[in-house]
Amino acid sequence: MVKRSGRASSTPGAGGWALLRAVLAEQKFGLIAGMAVGLAWSAGKVTVPKLTSLAVDRAILGNGSLAFWASLIAVMAFIAGIFTAWRRWFAFRESRLTETKLREQLFAHVLRLHVGYHDHTQTGQLMSRASSDLLQIQGFVVMIPITASNLAMVMAIVVILFVQQPMLALIALAPLPFLNVLATRFSRRIHPAVLAVQQEQAQLATVVEESVSGVRVIKGFGAHEVTANRLRKEADDIRTVSLDAARVRSSFLPALDLLPNLGLLAVLAIGGHRVLNGSMTRGQMLEFMQYIGLLIFPLRNLGMTVAFGQRAAAALLRVNEVLTTAPAVADPKAPVTLPEGGAVGAVRFEHVTFGYSADSPVLREFDLTIPAGASVALVGGTGGGKSTVARLLIRFYDVQSGCIQLDGVDVRDLSLRVLRQEVSVVFEDTFLFHDSVGANIAFARPDAPQADVEAAARLAGAHDFILELPDGYGTVIGERGYSLSGGQRQRIALARAIVANPRVLVLDDATSAVDPSKEHEIREAMRTVMDGRTTIVIAHRPGTIALADTVVLLDDGGVAATGTHEQLLATNERYRVVLAALAADDDVEEAVS
Amino acid sequence: MFAAGAIAEEDKLDRAETGRVLRRSLQFAQPYRRTIWWAIGLVCMSTTCTLAGPVLVKFGLDHGIGSDNARALNIAVAGYVLVVIIAYFVGRGQYLAINRAGEGFLRDLRVTVFDKLQAQSMAYFDRNKAGVLVSRMTADIESMGELIQWGLLQFVGAGLLLVMTLILMTAMSWQLTLMVVLFVAPVLGVASIRFQRQSNAAYLDVRERVGTNLSNLQEGITGVRVIQAYGREAEQERRFVVTNRALYGSHLHSVKVSTWYFGLVEWSGIMSIALIVGVGGFLVHHGSVKFGTVAAFVLLLANLFDPVQQLSQLYNTVQSAAASLHKLYALMDAEPDVAEHPRPVQLPSEGELVAHAVTFAYDGTERPALHDVSLGVKPGERVALVGPTGAGKSTLAKLLSRLYDPTSGYVTYGDVDVRLASLASLRERVVVVPQEGFLFGGTIMDNIRIARPAATDDDVAAALVAIGALERFQEFPEGLDTEVRERGSRLSAGERQLVSLARAALVDPAVLVLDEATSNLDPGTEAVVEQALERLMTGRSVIVVAHRLTTVQRADRIAVIDHARLVEIGTHDELMALGGKYHALASAWARSQPVIDPSAGR
Ligand SMILES: Nc1ncnc2c1ncn2[C@@H]1O[C@H](COP(=O)(O)OP(=O)(O)OP(=O)(O)O)[C@@H](O)[C@H]1O
Ligand SMILES: Nc1ncnc2c1ncn2[C@@H]1O[C@H](COP(=O)(O)OP(=O)(O)OP(=O)(O)O)[C@@H](O)[C@H]1O
Ligand SMILES: [Mg+2]
Ligand SMILES: [Mg+2]
Repeated sequence: MVKRSGRASSTPGAGGWALLRAVLAEQKFGLIAGMAVGLAWSAGKVTVPKLTSLAVDRAILGNGSLAFWASLIAVMAFIAGIFTAWRRWFAFRESRLTETKLREQLFAHVLRLHVGYHDHTQTGQLMSRASSDLLQIQGFVVMIPITASNLAMVMAIVVILFVQQPMLALIALAPLPFLNVLATRFSRRIHPAVLAVQQEQAQLATVVEESVSGVRVIKGFGAHEVTANRLRKEADDIRTVSLDAARVRSSFLPALDLLPNLGLLAVLAIGGHRVLNGSMTRGQMLEFMQYIGLLIFPLRNLGMTVAFGQRAAAALLRVNEVLTTAPAVADPKAPVTLPEGGAVGAVRFEHVTFGYSADSPVLREFDLTIPAGASVALVGGTGGGKSTVARLLIRFYDVQSGCIQLDGVDVRDLSLRVLRQEVSVVFEDTFLFHDSVGANIAFARPDAPQADVEAAARLAGAHDFILELPDGYGTVIGERGYSLSGGQRQRIALARAIVANPRVLVLDDATSAVDPSKEHEIREAMRTVMDGRTTIVIAHRPGTIALADTVVLLDDGGVAATGTHEQLLATNERYRVVLAALAADDDVEEAVS
Repeated sequence: MFAAGAIAEEDKLDRAETGRVLRRSLQFAQPYRRTIWWAIGLVCMSTTCTLAGPVLVKFGLDHGIGSDNARALNIAVAGYVLVVIIAYFVGRGQYLAINRAGEGFLRDLRVTVFDKLQAQSMAYFDRNKAGVLVSRMTADIESMGELIQWGLLQFVGAGLLLVMTLILMTAMSWQLTLMVVLFVAPVLGVASIRFQRQSNAAYLDVRERVGTNLSNLQEGITGVRVIQAYGREAEQERRFVVTNRALYGSHLHSVKVSTWYFGLVEWSGIMSIALIVGVGGFLVHHGSVKFGTVAAFVLLLANLFDPVQQLSQLYNTVQSAAASLHKLYALMDAEPDVAEHPRPVQLPSEGELVAHAVTFAYDGTERPALHDVSLGVKPGERVALVGPTGAGKSTLAKLLSRLYDPTSGYVTYGDVDVRLASLASLRERVVVVPQEGFLFGGTIMDNIRIARPAATDDDVAAALVAIGALERFQEFPEGLDTEVRERGSRLSAGERQLVSLARAALVDPAVLVLDEATSNLDPGTEAVVEQALERLMTGRSVIVVAHRLTTVQRADRIAVIDHARLVEIGTHDELMALGGKYHALASAWARSQPVIDPSAGR
């Protein structure tokens, strides 16, 4: 499955190549096969000019058999044709396989990285690791077998030319190393320019994505100008950096195209005089020219390979950086099992201190004990840290000091799977997957029988509206599917948690978008769900708070008061402020009287 | 941004369509026509230079070596040097010219398409998924960028080279040319047509799977918290492997398609040498061609086969760029259904906002979301819209502010039909604060300012003071310059809502349409916000879609919407006395806060 790259390497660069080596080691047979057929191809290809030269001197200008030489060349045509196809096949197959495997490795790893990592990493960044960076690596792997055979061909040609006419060979080949140098320098210069273009494109994409997703806000306030200006700026930036890249290309590419001509020129000038002297045959001259022609592509390719190698190295570095980031929240070495049977689901926060950044704690010395099967309403001001309590309980983050226990076991001693199976949180913002309603509800238990799914939907007050959807439980929802209202989405998320059947259920403002008249029904159903199950309800509405046995007031990072709703209302000033009890009291009375 | 573009039928263009796309693009390229002419001229020159090499070699071989004339040989060499130097500068020029025109074209296209996109009605955004629209502006335009940077030049150059090489060969020896063409044309012709067909299908398949794969990847990353919370990592991974391997399969298929073709091109290239040697040698023996011609043919062959190979490789790029352009033009041709009148009038600065018997159904739904509703809001009056979920309250608010036009009936402001008004004057008079606040990446400050771009930092701070939230945000280490991150994930749910409420406190319209959000705020904070909005509402007309009893009670009149119809309208007391829908609703609301009010009981 996942190979988490535990091999910590001293330099990150080495780590990148080590990653590639490890992947390629699994594909060595394919790569070797690619190189072997590549060699066969170069053998066929290299023979052609030699044969042509012999044909010219012996058959065209001499009196040998034209048919014989022509058919020899034809044989080489078959060899080169077949093996070039095979070389291509192996090269691409292996490189795509590398890309595919690395993508799977990345996805698997990213899924397991701690939430704190995701807080600081944009989706777009991870996406480009798994798409454009991997493409660059793929582009390099393709070059491996191709370059190997090209190299063989270059060496063969150089040897042939030197054996025949050392001086001419030296002069004719002199410009060619420059080709390589130039190609290398070109790619070094073009790389940052290309990166800049990609970056600007990503920024433009963000502007467009937000303008489309936030279109209601933009239209409502008539703020088209703001987004149009942002877009214009990004479009201008793209043009600027693209033209920078074009400038680099314009100064290198024509030179790369023309350099080989210098070799041809040398052959024509020097070789021509030699033919006039009689120290060289015309066939040989044609052969030289053909060989130099043959060298152009392989040499340019070598330069490209170096360039691709550098680019791939940078990409590998970035990919490796993700893969070697160890999840800060991970399974313990020896997970403890939870006690079974009897009353389970006791939760205990002991002197918990936590903040998203070390210097500004959200919770300070937070203590909370919830007996098995009890229910607690967590009440507090906006931004007070209620959702943070829920996130800590399922170890989205680890506490900075203190500890959290589930049934007497420190949550850090439990395997994550067990902990998260036994504690379910319904988050305040609902995320549903692009899948059927039924599959979304059965997310925690994909093999749950339809009866369980429907029972959960009923309890969450979702069954009725689901039946009215075009395909009932089979209706596909999510970003690209049928759009549901906020209240409907919340109810599906609630059903999803009920199906999981956990020991501890945390409802984070889970009915805020549900209609008050419907909320009443859901509340009744919730009593069934909560019966005998430890439940933490984070809520603002008194009606929802009333579901719980006790109320805990979270204030200033700690528990400010505990008691029943009525007790707190009667005794605690801060509680009354948070619930705006004074104002609401009069209004409601006035309203229904 | 990475969502799959809409693929399939629309990607396949017939010839007539392609022609239309091309003509349209020419119009678009008008501002750059001089640069484009330059580019074309330079491409022609550079192709000529490429051909000059072998011609000079032939000249040197035939007139220099063939007739023992060292001078002719030297002339050939000198000519060659000159050609190389010219070719370098021509080559530079053509890159610059083509990119300057191309990037300018793309920049204009981006700006135009985006403006056009923003001018589209809400209904358009309902119809088209966000991912598709984003891919129009990104993937589709970028695929054209690729063509401009690499393809266009090669495409034109390769085509020219092919044609000119053939002409040149014919001039040198029509017999040899005829033979090469008779051999090469049928083989490569048939193969190229087959290859293009197959590779096009394979390419579309790959593109579709890349799209699906990226969507899955993105869903996994954005949904990572839910996946972890339910411990479903392994399951998600397994699913991803399925689509990822399917993509691998399509890649392999597309390689397979191209592999045989490239083998064939290689084979026929060398085969042609064999033919030239065989037949050319025969002709040399007969004295009908010179040896130099045979040599030139062998060297020129590369000019024949390289372009063929390039053209078939480029085919996909060209094809996908044409398809992209086609889709972009379709977007640009979509007339906004809520468009500005050709001769728009300015709305009066004050007036009554009235809906006259409006009926409205969303696209693709049969049942109207609003049926025959008439409602007027006088200057300074406050009307609350109440009713159960899905009754049509938000829909009425959207019609009143012309986010949609009614299917029948009409809306007037100060007795002017809003469809005749300029959109700018309408947005100045009527501002809608939508139900779902959306946070953009950027700072808290930027996010609030979107409501009134001209607002100063102090105005923004004042808006935050009004809703009692300034101190809270100033306490953050970076204060109002705190980056809220994607969708505002740096903030708590309530804090996000405060940011979007501060927007409402920043605007200053004659009519405020406030679609109240169901609240994530604690009642204490909410009470402060309510007071602020209260101040904001005084002195202007307000239509508020209410989800809270307190808001309703402060309204001058209450309109009850139920099942798409306006069923009751009047003051709180009148409606309570009526004992109808409103009475029932108010009681439900009251019951949802039973514990606070001891008299209501439980
Ligand atoms: N991912 C995060 N990174 C940094 N700070 C955060 C993050 N999430 C929340 N915070 C901050 O931590 C504090 C507590 O947030 P939390 O979401 O726990 O509040 P809450 O009590 O749930 O509030 P609400 O009622 O508004 O949902 C807030 O001030 C918030 O700005
Ligand atoms: N963009 C849309 N496309 C299709 N149908 C829609 C769209 N928006 C709303 N509807 C449907 O129109 C009807 C009225 O919706 P509307 O949003 O006006 O309700 P509402 O009264 O504002 O409800 P809520 O109190 O939940 O906000 C509902 O049946 C809803 O499903
Ligand atoms: Mg919260
Ligand atoms: Mg609504």
